[in-house]
Amino acid sequence: MMDFKLTEEQELIRKNMREFAAKYVDPIAVEIDENSRHPAELFKKLAEGDWLGIPIPIEYGGAGADYLTHTVAVEELSRSCASTGFTVSIHVGIASMLILLFGNEEQKKKYLIPLAKGQNLGAFVLTEPGAGTDVMAATTTAILDGNDYVINGTKTFTSNGPTGGTYLVFAWTDKAAGRKGMSAFVIPRETPGMKAGEHFKKMGLRSSQTSEMVFKDCRVPKENLLGKEGAGLVMAMAGFDHGRVGIAAQSVGILQAALDESIRYSKERVQFGAPIARQQAISWMIANMATDLSAARLLTYHAAWLKDQKQPFSKEASMAKLFAAEAAMRHTIKAVQIQGGYGYIKGAKVERLMRDAKITEIYEGTSEAQRMVISGNVLR
Amino acid sequence: MAGVWIFAENREQTLELLNVGRQLAAEMETGVSALLWYDHERAGDYISHGADEVLLLPALPEDQSLEAYIPVVVAEAKKGDPDVFLFVASARGKELSARIATRLDTGLCSNCITLKYDKESKTLEMERLAYGGAAVQKVTCPARPVMATIPPRTFEPTAAEDGRNGHIRELSAPPPSVVKILERKVKAREAKDINEARVVVSVGRGIEKKEDLAIARELADVLGGEIGCTRPISEEMHWLPEELCIGLSGVQIKPDLYVGLGISGQIQHVTGIRNARVICAINKDENAPIFGVADFGIVGDLYSVVPKLVQELKKI
Amino acid sequence: MFFADEVEKRRHAMPTIVACFKWVIDEAYIRRSSSGELDFSSVDYKISEYDRNAIEEAVRLKEIHGGNVITVTVGVPEATKGVKDALSRGSDQAYFIADASFRNLESSQTAAILAEVIRSRIVSYDLIICGEGSSDLYAQQVGARLAEHLEIPCISFVQKLSMEGGRLIAERKVEQYTEITATPLPALVTVLPEINSPRIPGVKDTLTASKKPTVTIKKDELSPIGEARLQTTGISASRMDRTCEKFGTEAAELTRFVESLRKKGAIR
Repeated sequence: MMDFKLTEEQELIRKNMREFAAKYVDPIAVEIDENSRHPAELFKKLAEGDWLGIPIPIEYGGAGADYLTHTVAVEELSRSCASTGFTVSIHVGIASMLILLFGNEEQKKKYLIPLAKGQNLGAFVLTEPGAGTDVMAATTTAILDGNDYVINGTKTFTSNGPTGGTYLVFAWTDKAAGRKGMSAFVIPRETPGMKAGEHFKKMGLRSSQTSEMVFKDCRVPKENLLGKEGAGLVMAMAGFDHGRVGIAAQSVGILQAALDESIRYSKERVQFGAPIARQQAISWMIANMATDLSAARLLTYHAAWLKDQKQPFSKEASMAKLFAAEAAMRHTIKAVQIQGGYGYIKGAKVERLMRDAKITEIYEGTSEAQRMVISGNVLR
Repeated sequence: MAGVWIFAENREQTLELLNVGRQLAAEMETGVSALLWYDHERAGDYISHGADEVLLLPALPEDQSLEAYIPVVVAEAKKGDPDVFLFVASARGKELSARIATRLDTGLCSNCITLKYDKESKTLEMERLAYGGAAVQKVTCPARPVMATIPPRTFEPTAAEDGRNGHIRELSAPPPSVVKILERKVKAREAKDINEARVVVSVGRGIEKKEDLAIARELADVLGGEIGCTRPISEEMHWLPEELCIGLSGVQIKPDLYVGLGISGQIQHVTGIRNARVICAINKDENAPIFGVADFGIVGDLYSVVPKLVQELKKI
Repeated sequence: MFFADEVEKRRHAMPTIVACFKWVIDEAYIRRSSSGELDFSSVDYKISEYDRNAIEEAVRLKEIHGGNVITVTVGVPEATKGVKDALSRGSDQAYFIADASFRNLESSQTAAILAEVIRSRIVSYDLIICGEGSSDLYAQQVGARLAEHLEIPCISFVQKLSMEGGRLIAERKVEQYTEITATPLPALVTVLPEINSPRIPGVKDTLTASKKPTVTIKKDELSPIGEARLQTTGISASRMDRTCEKFGTEAAELTRFVESLRKKGAIR
């Protein structure tokens, strides 16, 4: 039988995240979007409450909870600020999880513990100017030279690029080996030869810092090879699985915020002598929004639950991400429509929601890439 | 035995209690006794305002607080067996009454806003607010005495009557309480007392910055009144002192005229103004809840409406 | 009277502080049906606002003086989430007196139950902290009544608290004054929200809550509960019947507005 309830602990944690977001995130959300600013002071507070290491075991500095709990937290944070929710998702769901899953004991002690404690931010460095969906078109190389790998190449669209402390970087160690020729490295910020470019001014998700990463003869000791040489792509896929659940959760948070805004506004706004909520055109938009929100949330929680049950969850993570992202875009457009002119003005929450929603259809695998994954799985 | 007892505090509130006390005593065909712990000179004054008996609690040493009186009051109540025992819903009144009610093993209706005596069932029906002001709770007390604390200004002060007689009795001094008062700090009043104001102009989140309070002050001046605010303005923004915060956890006012500027009308605030004679609201949101509790409303931006209103009022 | 031995003993020992809380309907979720009546169908529950301040104050004092904090609540069996919530805020141990019939206890009953459990199970304590009133019914009685049952001093409406040398220094807000009082322990205080800012529990705090010892006490383990001293005969939505006459913002409308106020005698 299926039990669709969260545990009491998960409900309390959700409540606490909501309270935290209302107290610390809401007051700065508009400003950090306007100024494209990463709120370091906020992340310090997040670290103090164990919010930056929820699914990481206690012995590695985390809270020792499950992935579903982390997913719920990302949703609640994103409801207030999609950028903040996303930054946490990359940090925990990809960077920290990859070290947890594939790192050796020394690497976990050296890099995972500080990440779980929120002492620095993790970043996932894969995408290149010429290699987006086509990962194999990457050109960054890591050549073994004595005790070091020497990395050369350019990466782009690295989230937490300018602000990161621990970078998971993917490069060819043996191009000829094809899918078995890419490796992953854990590279701390101070390493010479690795530099973050200026952060991009984006349409949305503006507080999240995104930039190029340039590697010029960047020497990385052998000990920093994550997992086995050649296992890079397998690890990247695992990273995507976890990250996609996070993006799905982010989209669910955006959707919930859009629904909250739409209900509030349509009850207050009076035209033709009555609140516009009484107009079927509006109430049907809200009904669609509420239904897709429910569906997106269930898909997302199910994918997280499967992971916690140690079952395969690639397909479900992909489906959740695809559905939730497209729903978030669809409905934030409607949320702006419902608010008319007021929704189009800076400072209105829905205009930020709509700008933030777009990227969820693009990063961590475009909706097109998700369809490739899902059909590949279903048509086997 | 019987009687309606009241525990006197400051004069104004004691006269309010005497008002409801007299009414109840008349219906219950009994007398009113007032327990007086300070201002003993007022005993005669209270008799002319309705007390049939005044019981004087001896003055306490400087370092003693009112809880010292509890054993004396309880002993007296056990002897006198009043039907009803009323207190002011002040901080002291609330604590004393709860403790006395426990010792008398009876019920206490806190912050009671109406009391009605039903002669047939011989029951006192009381009402109070619950759920932050959203609900009205009706209660009765099956034990005796029926006790209640009554918020200031729930009732009008009673008027004096010529030629009233009553007697005064002194109660014994209480043993000292273990609680010692080390210091009393009088709170410097930061603002005019809006409890007495005939007109109150109140501001809410519709005011964008502290400097704009001047707009409200101008309107208050031309109407001959004082300014007040909602909780966020005093507790969060600290634009006005807490004494001017009107609402469930602030003051409850009963002015002739209340004007709310940029106030949405959350129940916590509205609870504080429900007894105003005329309520007006100015808010740019036509569906703000405050319009549901107002007599007159202007839907518009207070920044343009209020200055025009001030000009109009100055013409009178 | 100060009992010199007692004071000396408490001066050196680490205190046991009891914080009482109520698991209440979160009034933000109360809706009004189209007929105007109150709709409780989609309510969520929470620890009453001021009780959070009470728990926070107890934990704050523990952080200074050492010792332990015990949180106690009387409620329905579903309130286990509340018990965990309290434990996640820094309390070390919980007492949960639970029964389905406890949904609508009256203040005198709650106080009697708390008194019995504290007296017979907790036995030895230095300080009891309660909120000044619960956010649902706001009767503001349980703390004071509990103190009377336990025959300990009571200081209500406290905005600042400290324990110094076996006694309690409490600053209480009383009408025109702030009184600074000194009281021997054990004692009970009720606190105002100004006293502190309750922490938001971190994830680990919530996860470790259920591992802390909780004693659940059933109704039949208690003495028979007396009849409610105050009986509720009804709860209805509060109404304010004023028909709002609306005015526009043009000059003529404002003139009409002022005239309406004059007719009502609101302007002199």
